[in-house]
Amino acid sequence: MSSDVGQQHPLALYFWIWGLLFVISAGSYLIDFFQVGYDVGTMELRWALILVFMFLKAGYIVAVFMHLKWERLALIYALLLPPGVLMVLVGLMAWEADYTWLTRVVYFGAEVAPQPAPVEHVIH
Amino acid sequence: MAQAEIPYQEAIPLHDPHSWITKYWFSQDHKVIAVQYGITAVAVGLVALVLSWIMRTQIGFPGMFEWITPDIYYQSVTMHGMIMVIYLLTAFLLGSFGNYLVPLMLGARDMVFPFVNMISYHVYFASVIILMLGYLPGMEGPTGAGWTLYPPQAILSGTPGADWGILTMLASLAVFIVAFTMGGLNYITTILQARTRGMTMMRMPLSIWGIGMATVLGLLAFPALFVSAIMMTLDNVLGTSFFMPAISSAGAEHEYEGGSPLLFQHLFWFFGHPEVYIVALPAFGVVSDLISVHARKNIFGYRLMVWAIVAIGGLSFIVWAHHMYVAGMHPYFGFFFATTTLIIAVPTAIKVYNWTLTLWRANIRFTVPMLFAIAFVLTFVVGGLTGLFLGNVIVDVPLSDTYFVVAHFHMVMGVAPILVIFGGIYHWYPKITGRMLNDTIGRIHFWITFIGTYAIYFPMHFLAIPRRYYEYNVGESAILTPSMDILNQSITITAYIVGIAQFLFIYNLIVSYRHGREAGDNPWEANSLEWRTPQTPPVHGNWGERLPTVHRWAYDFSVPGEERDFIPQDVPRKAQA
Amino acid sequence: MAEAAAQSTGLASIAKDWSSDVTTFKGVPWGKAMMWIFLLSDTFIFGIFLTSYMTVRATTAEAWPNPSEVFSLTLFGTTVPLLLIAIMTFDLITSSGTMALAVNYGYRRDKKKAVIFMLATAFFGFVFVGMQAFEWYKLISEGVRPWGNPWGAAQFGSCFFMITGFHGLHVSAGVVYLSIISYRVWRGKYDDTNFEIVEITGLYWHFVDLVWVFIFAFFYLW
Repeated sequence: MSSDVGQQHPLALYFWIWGLLFVISAGSYLIDFFQVGYDVGTMELRWALILVFMFLKAGYIVAVFMHLKWERLALIYALLLPPGVLMVLVGLMAWEADYTWLTRVVYFGAEVAPQPAPVEHVIH
Repeated sequence: MAQAEIPYQEAIPLHDPHSWITKYWFSQDHKVIAVQYGITAVAVGLVALVLSWIMRTQIGFPGMFEWITPDIYYQSVTMHGMIMVIYLLTAFLLGSFGNYLVPLMLGARDMVFPFVNMISYHVYFASVIILMLGYLPGMEGPTGAGWTLYPPQAILSGTPGADWGILTMLASLAVFIVAFTMGGLNYITTILQARTRGMTMMRMPLSIWGIGMATVLGLLAFPALFVSAIMMTLDNVLGTSFFMPAISSAGAEHEYEGGSPLLFQHLFWFFGHPEVYIVALPAFGVVSDLISVHARKNIFGYRLMVWAIVAIGGLSFIVWAHHMYVAGMHPYFGFFFATTTLIIAVPTAIKVYNWTLTLWRANIRFTVPMLFAIAFVLTFVVGGLTGLFLGNVIVDVPLSDTYFVVAHFHMVMGVAPILVIFGGIYHWYPKITGRMLNDTIGRIHFWITFIGTYAIYFPMHFLAIPRRYYEYNVGESAILTPSMDILNQSITITAYIVGIAQFLFIYNLIVSYRHGREAGDNPWEANSLEWRTPQTPPVHGNWGERLPTVHRWAYDFSVPGEERDFIPQDVPRKAQA
Repeated sequence: MAEAAAQSTGLASIAKDWSSDVTTFKGVPWGKAMMWIFLLSDTFIFGIFLTSYMTVRATTAEAWPNPSEVFSLTLFGTTVPLLLIAIMTFDLITSSGTMALAVNYGYRRDKKKAVIFMLATAFFGFVFVGMQAFEWYKLISEGVRPWGNPWGAAQFGSCFFMITGFHGLHVSAGVVYLSIISYRVWRGKYDDTNFEIVEITGLYWHFVDLVWVFIFAFFYLW
């Protein structure tokens, strides 16, 4: 627990978390390096890995580096609950995006493009 | 103990003013900043009033004035709406009432960061200036896109102000949001971290609950407007296609492709619906205090009132698309949003019941603030009930974009909060200046405003004509009957009268400042802490050496067995026998 | 009242803290509370940026350029996907680590080390902005514009420049903020306090890193 003044924690803890963040970042980079998902054509594993690494990294930053782990629950809940309404927006927008996409394809005859598009570099 | 390390606010020095300019312009005193906000908001509100006269003139007497062109008409509609919602109502209720009441009612010396608070006002002032830039010669007028600024028409060249007007509007909104964020962070931090001893959350006057919750909504909802303002500016200036679909106008193909106008509507209303409650919640809070004080009775169901405010605040984020039933969104959304909309009516109705029950068998004093408070409840009920019609998809579809909608939102979030603002000014003017406002002028002002606004908006419910039309009867194709014309004309004339009556109010404000009756410390015999300052008007720092200590809630009126019918919050409880 | 509240834990502590007088967040200085609330508001700004990006990307019927290829770098004849982005990510984590150390040394009242680590953080932030400028330069020279690009949906460039630009502005503001605060700490402006100002600055900086985590996942890995 925190001592008298502010947030005081052993330095070793920070170094451990710091190292861990490097490992997690390397993990999420390797998802793309090995083209996980694209090689087999289904994206479930890729998305699962992206989200797991993302939340792990974000969680460690918020909990340890921003000291939220040691704050009192009153503050923790006040900060973590409001973004819930953002999740409602994200969910509904994702749901509606499929519908919008469908109407564009059906009514405007837009051609469905293969995802993703190949890229040719002009300069290197 | 960790908090022992944090100096209590009694020990924190204040920036005392040394010259006229630091006392009245660059002041760090929350009371001066509140008055600055108030004067600016009223001044810009008068512009909005004149704009409403222009459009009512065109609707009531089309063609009477040649200079009211379609461009002028649509620009007036747009600017009237935006000024009233953002630059008057939001700025006044939070900037002025919020600034004045939060530290005083909580027993604090000032806002927690007075410097940031000062900057907040000046940034707000800048946003008002930027908003008005569109009227400068050579700018071709402000935007005429309607206050909702829907793309693609807000950007396309057929809309008035498509060159500069829309840009000044978006820039002004972004700047306003910066100002609001600075002020809002101060209000929230003060409410949460700088209350005086004994002031628990459940002893706070409902004004503070309303202002606080509205500020939370503002801090979480304004980002949506901020982001959409940025994206729309990019669409306009750089030619990105966030909101702009492939489109051709005036025979020319635009370069836009694949944007989603629907996305803008979602973002706008994700801000816009909480915005309704940003305006309504402070009004709810203030009116609760007015009713309780002037009815000499504790507010009925205080805890329920608090939880209703919290519930409305939370729910207001998941009802936004009820503004978009005819926009072509996902067809299943109507069910979801109609349900949440009807759910949010429950806590709102609870508040109305509680106001009514507070008045029930109360020792009502029909002072001017009380008249405005009762008028608020009446107006809010009418406006709220029509909201039930509009919240249901099937009923909303034929009512969309008619004067029924205009009547609904003007009553519920136009007139109703303005009545509270008037009531609040009549109530707190004695504390701000030390003098009472003239009672007779106040009563004349009230009756003209109350009856007049009813005469304006009530007939609109059954006028049932489409809104945002410049002219209804063009040549042979007259779509209005003569009786509708008469109704429109009478509404317009009433609007002139109600508008002129507001100058009576301003005259009252100015004259009473010098010649009003001396008010004394507590003319309304109220309980909350702002009436317990050692001086009236309160000096910089509000309190003497020591901050007050709170022993009770703000609603101990007519307690049986007491000599007086009110017990202020800082009076200690009697020892229990 | 406050002491009793500070000792309770769990859900009961929430009720006690919120129903106590004076402060709701026990032991949290005003500036820190204000920074947290600001960051909550800023979360909504970035959240809505990313939601808008998600919507335009998911609704477009055009092909979306493959970020893995767009942001690849060719070194010594081999093309490595997302290389620059990975370096930027590691740079930002490094800066987060130095910031955390600065906060720790601040609370230990080791002013010198706190200032040094804050300046190191600002340096890494500056490097990040520099790399971002290079990234923008590379993309612009390949023909990516806010209104279009050679490979597919026009919104790719729009979202890229808007979101990374807004994040870059936050990083730049953070560098300036860190420089000012470290100067003030050095000059002794906060000697009477617990140096919670370092933690407040740190909160902002970690938030900037936090946003990058989400941008990296949703913009570069999707």
